[in-house]
Amino acid sequence: MSEFSLAGWRLERRIEQSRFSRPIGLAVALVGAILVCSVLFVSAGANPLTAFATLAKGSFGSLRVTGETLVKATPLIFTGLAACVAFRARLWNIGAEGQVFAGAMFAFWMQHNLGGYPALVQIPIVVAGGIAGGALYAGLAAVLKTRFSVDEVISTVMLNYIIVYVLSMLLLRGPWSEAGGFFEQSARIDRGAVLPIVLAGTRLHAGFLLAIVAAVLVYFLLKRTPLGYEIKAAGSNLRALDVQGTNTRRLILVVFLVSGALAGLAGVTEVYGVQYRLKAGAIAGYGYSGIIVAILGQLHPAGVVVAAILFGALLNGAILMQITTGVPSALIYAVQAILLLFFLAGWAACNFRLRRIADA
Amino acid sequence: MLDTLFQASILVSIAAATVRIATPLLLAALGELVAERGGVYNMGLEGMMLMGAFTGYLAAYESGSLWVGVAAAGFTGALMAFVFAVMVITLKVEQIVTGLAVNLLGAGLSTYWLRAAFAGDGQTPTIPFFANAPIPYLSELPYVGPVLFDQKLITYLAFLMVPAVWFFLYRTRYGLILRCAGDNPKALDVKGIAVAPVQYAAVVFGGLMAGLGGAFLSVGSAARFVPEMTNGRGWLAIIIVIAGLWRPWSILVAALLFSFLDALQLQIQGIGIAIPYQLLLMMPYVAAIVALMVRRSRASAPAMLGVPYLRE
Amino acid sequence: MTPNETPRLSVRHLTKRFGPLVANDDISLDVMPGELHCLLGENGAGKSTLSSCLYGLYRPDGGEIWVDGRPVHLNSPSDAIAAGMGMVHQHFVLVPSFTVMENIAVGAGSGWRLDYAGVLDRIRSICDAYAIELDPSQPIGELSVGEQQWVEIVKVLYMGARLLILDEPTAVLTPDESKKLFTVIERLLADGISVLLISHKMAEVMRSDAVSVLRKGRLVGTVRTADTTRDELTSMMVGRRVSAPVRVDGEAAGQERMLAVRDLVRLRDTRRVLDGISFDVAKGEILGLAGVSGNGQDELFECLCGLVAPDEGSVTLADKPLHGLSVAEVAAEGVGYVPSDRFRDGLVADLTVSENLVLGQHWQGRWRRGPFLDRGALDANARRAIETYSIAAGGPDSACRKLSGGNAQKVILAREFTKASKLLLCNQPTRGLDVGAIEFVHRELVRKRDEGCAVLLASEELEDLFALCNRIGVMFRGRLLAILDARSATHEEVGRLMAGQESAGAA
Repeated sequence: MSEFSLAGWRLERRIEQSRFSRPIGLAVALVGAILVCSVLFVSAGANPLTAFATLAKGSFGSLRVTGETLVKATPLIFTGLAACVAFRARLWNIGAEGQVFAGAMFAFWMQHNLGGYPALVQIPIVVAGGIAGGALYAGLAAVLKTRFSVDEVISTVMLNYIIVYVLSMLLLRGPWSEAGGFFEQSARIDRGAVLPIVLAGTRLHAGFLLAIVAAVLVYFLLKRTPLGYEIKAAGSNLRALDVQGTNTRRLILVVFLVSGALAGLAGVTEVYGVQYRLKAGAIAGYGYSGIIVAILGQLHPAGVVVAAILFGALLNGAILMQITTGVPSALIYAVQAILLLFFLAGWAACNFRLRRIADA
Repeated sequence: MLDTLFQASILVSIAAATVRIATPLLLAALGELVAERGGVYNMGLEGMMLMGAFTGYLAAYESGSLWVGVAAAGFTGALMAFVFAVMVITLKVEQIVTGLAVNLLGAGLSTYWLRAAFAGDGQTPTIPFFANAPIPYLSELPYVGPVLFDQKLITYLAFLMVPAVWFFLYRTRYGLILRCAGDNPKALDVKGIAVAPVQYAAVVFGGLMAGLGGAFLSVGSAARFVPEMTNGRGWLAIIIVIAGLWRPWSILVAALLFSFLDALQLQIQGIGIAIPYQLLLMMPYVAAIVALMVRRSRASAPAMLGVPYLRE
Repeated sequence: MTPNETPRLSVRHLTKRFGPLVANDDISLDVMPGELHCLLGENGAGKSTLSSCLYGLYRPDGGEIWVDGRPVHLNSPSDAIAAGMGMVHQHFVLVPSFTVMENIAVGAGSGWRLDYAGVLDRIRSICDAYAIELDPSQPIGELSVGEQQWVEIVKVLYMGARLLILDEPTAVLTPDESKKLFTVIERLLADGISVLLISHKMAEVMRSDAVSVLRKGRLVGTVRTADTTRDELTSMMVGRRVSAPVRVDGEAAGQERMLAVRDLVRLRDTRRVLDGISFDVAKGEILGLAGVSGNGQDELFECLCGLVAPDEGSVTLADKPLHGLSVAEVAAEGVGYVPSDRFRDGLVADLTVSENLVLGQHWQGRWRRGPFLDRGALDANARRAIETYSIAAGGPDSACRKLSGGNAQKVILAREFTKASKLLLCNQPTRGLDVGAIEFVHRELVRKRDEGCAVLLASEELEDLFALCNRIGVMFRGRLLAILDARSATHEEVGRLMAGQESAGAA
């Protein structure tokens, strides 16, 4: 047994995982995050209670604001699902960040010359482009892993940095930049490509519905299909799959393609549902946040949706919080990481048990 | 245009820049080497460097002393590494995920704190950064002088750490124990030597070095802190350890190669050759992938790297 | 041995629990100085748990341990080492990238300096005292398994052990190397060092001074070896009368050739891990492969099952070429493969029993309904297998992680036997199993043979091979030295071949 003793107490590792480890982990995450946030609020000169209140008000206080929360949650659902699928197979796709870009860029490339065509033509093309772009960029990392033994953690992170520069080349006085504009962005997209609003009085667009559909599809994929079976097996023992005849190289590729496709859709929904322009600021940050969403969501599609909405709420509420209390909204990114760390710690701590040492 | 590049003064300038740019990479990479030799894959390097850069800047600004900034940076890196160590060594959480969380924490916390601390100011204030500390006589040697001996003190420290880490790993009793922890921790356990303290020490050292590397960026050259200013250097440090096959001197070579690319790119921009600057900025990351494709052999990695030690 | 001598080791009422399982139940025994004391018991009897408690790896839940007359609390290996205990594990704990000396010396001494000269001296004196041959500057990676064991022993002596616990030390040795080991043990005993030998090989057990028999966690008894017999010890160990496995010959083994292997060569770097292997297996025949593990058996099976393509040579099944086919294609030809490493190669621990039973076939139409897996079909299949093979599992949905070695093997057998219509490949199928499970596997192999399947069986247990096989081949360093008729060959002949001595009558 792995042990650690201090002052008459001993920390022992449990043999079986406690059933309560996950709920306790989440509880610890919440409590820990609230504590740390309060400290940060105070250090920024704000009243913690006011700050939390405005956070809540800013996320669900009205229809418009709730819709906005769901808008912010949409890309996180996609990137959360992307991480969920990959991580279940223990394939560390940290490249959702870049795959979001790739999806948006590929979709834009396919769509931006189709101005004037009806939505029935443009939108499916855009969605297909997002899927293809994200999948291809993720596939690149998969090939690097299977053919060249390049660790996927590192290759995907490097690819994240690279594609940001590629986009910059295209948008800054490049072929896609807005004619006569000063900013690093494209022209406004054609009206026929705009994702329709589904809730009047808000900015909530069809992308959100697409995200929910994706979550349901991923659930069935993971729980009921042979591919989901392989993913579960791969996450536990890839070697046994090999010995028993599965083509694990192909499995790795497929998992990355699916994961990348989901991430790519995040890019599409942001560009075509919210920002109506292709620019880096619109799509950055969702990849990494999606990973946190996936882990807090226990790598389960339903959990991902819940966690994504929670994060959307935080992101949204933070804006009001900054206006009202002056606490910088950048806090939210720190909060996300703190939630994750406390969750991991709380969950892992449940694997241990404290025992009093009887004899010295 | 190419002849402008090959002028002696330009080459010297590129070489000197290479040495300078290598400093944070070398510090972080050597720290990571020690941690990985102990068997722990510290992926949170980027976050630790970033927090080091920020606290170094903040502490230097508040205290007025640059060295206080450096100390604060080292301390911050070590502290973050300690938290990481608790999670990964004692609680045995997945190293990759925890490292990522540390990265995001470092990024978020540093950005937030910067805005909170300097809320009113338009541009964050600058601090006087470290001046070069030329070594007398040696810095006047032709060509070699300005490149090797007219650098900042932190740079000298970084380069001196290479033989120091080599000596520690291969010529001391502690180094042997550390390498055993990374290759087969059970071998230590059955000899009655606790594995965890060894790994803790290695990880904290790694964090300390990462913090110092970050400090160099803000306190040592940029004179301020900009959000996300490490821009992937932590990741490059990890790649440098792999490309250097976990050996200190090879790591030095790898670090210099990457830094050379960066220095070259700066010079090319300065000269105004018509290559989109984004392509140049991309070079280190593409080079990193290529380096990993070429260096396929993982046989040099510590055998139990990334596997938390469990006494069954 | 004087009657009133203080025992080197005294264990009183030692108990160790793992949750509800009582691995060691009220065990008391004594080991005298200079005594070779054997700890006998089947797999799962509690021998490893007891030795781990004695080495400070586990803390007992009850009982006391006394060393040289003084009570000790062994909270960690460092306490055990301080008390003079030393342990050589069954799976060595060496660092392949270090030299022999570095492995022995790591951690020893104090301060920051490395005192290689002093270490070398000490190693040399230990080797001289006990006639052990070692080159301290060799990297471990270059040593054979037998040579590595010497390093482990010297390592333990270096730390000043006065009681050595040896866990199945001859499992990986040829008969010659085993003899050498016992010579060294005798010198250790003469020096007053006690040896606690964990073994289930009767030949070795009978060489000891005293035997303590464990069964299901309890101590059945401690006897002086001179006063007992093999059969008595075996029945103490198993709890009932057990005789040596009896040969059950089926109908005359068919002459129809099923598997033909010709000149199989496999290279790893420049080494020939398989060096021109040729043999046939007929329908309804069990061909045994004797040999210490590590002589190419694993590599041979990997080639036969399709995991790795051979570099040269051919494999045909009923005259259809098998070499170059993928694992899935080979399986489709009617080949089943029972790998030696159950939990690494044969099962996915986190999947359920019903899921593991279709591992490798999960895309097949009979397990699916449209794009989805047919849980009902999987379930029914699992219930059938659990019934037929008496698998002690909670149900089709229990995770395989919880299964004992024997039951995990049953899951694999259930799956592979169904696949194996023509050929069954078995690599060490009874390793780590208790007697009941071993008997089960034997019965099933015979049944498969009688159904007309060709069976290739690699095993380290000569008794198993002689009981089951029609012919026995011996593997040594990647070569197949000879194939003998099981009915006329002797253990000695096979033993000699296992050690690499090809000519009969060689020393």
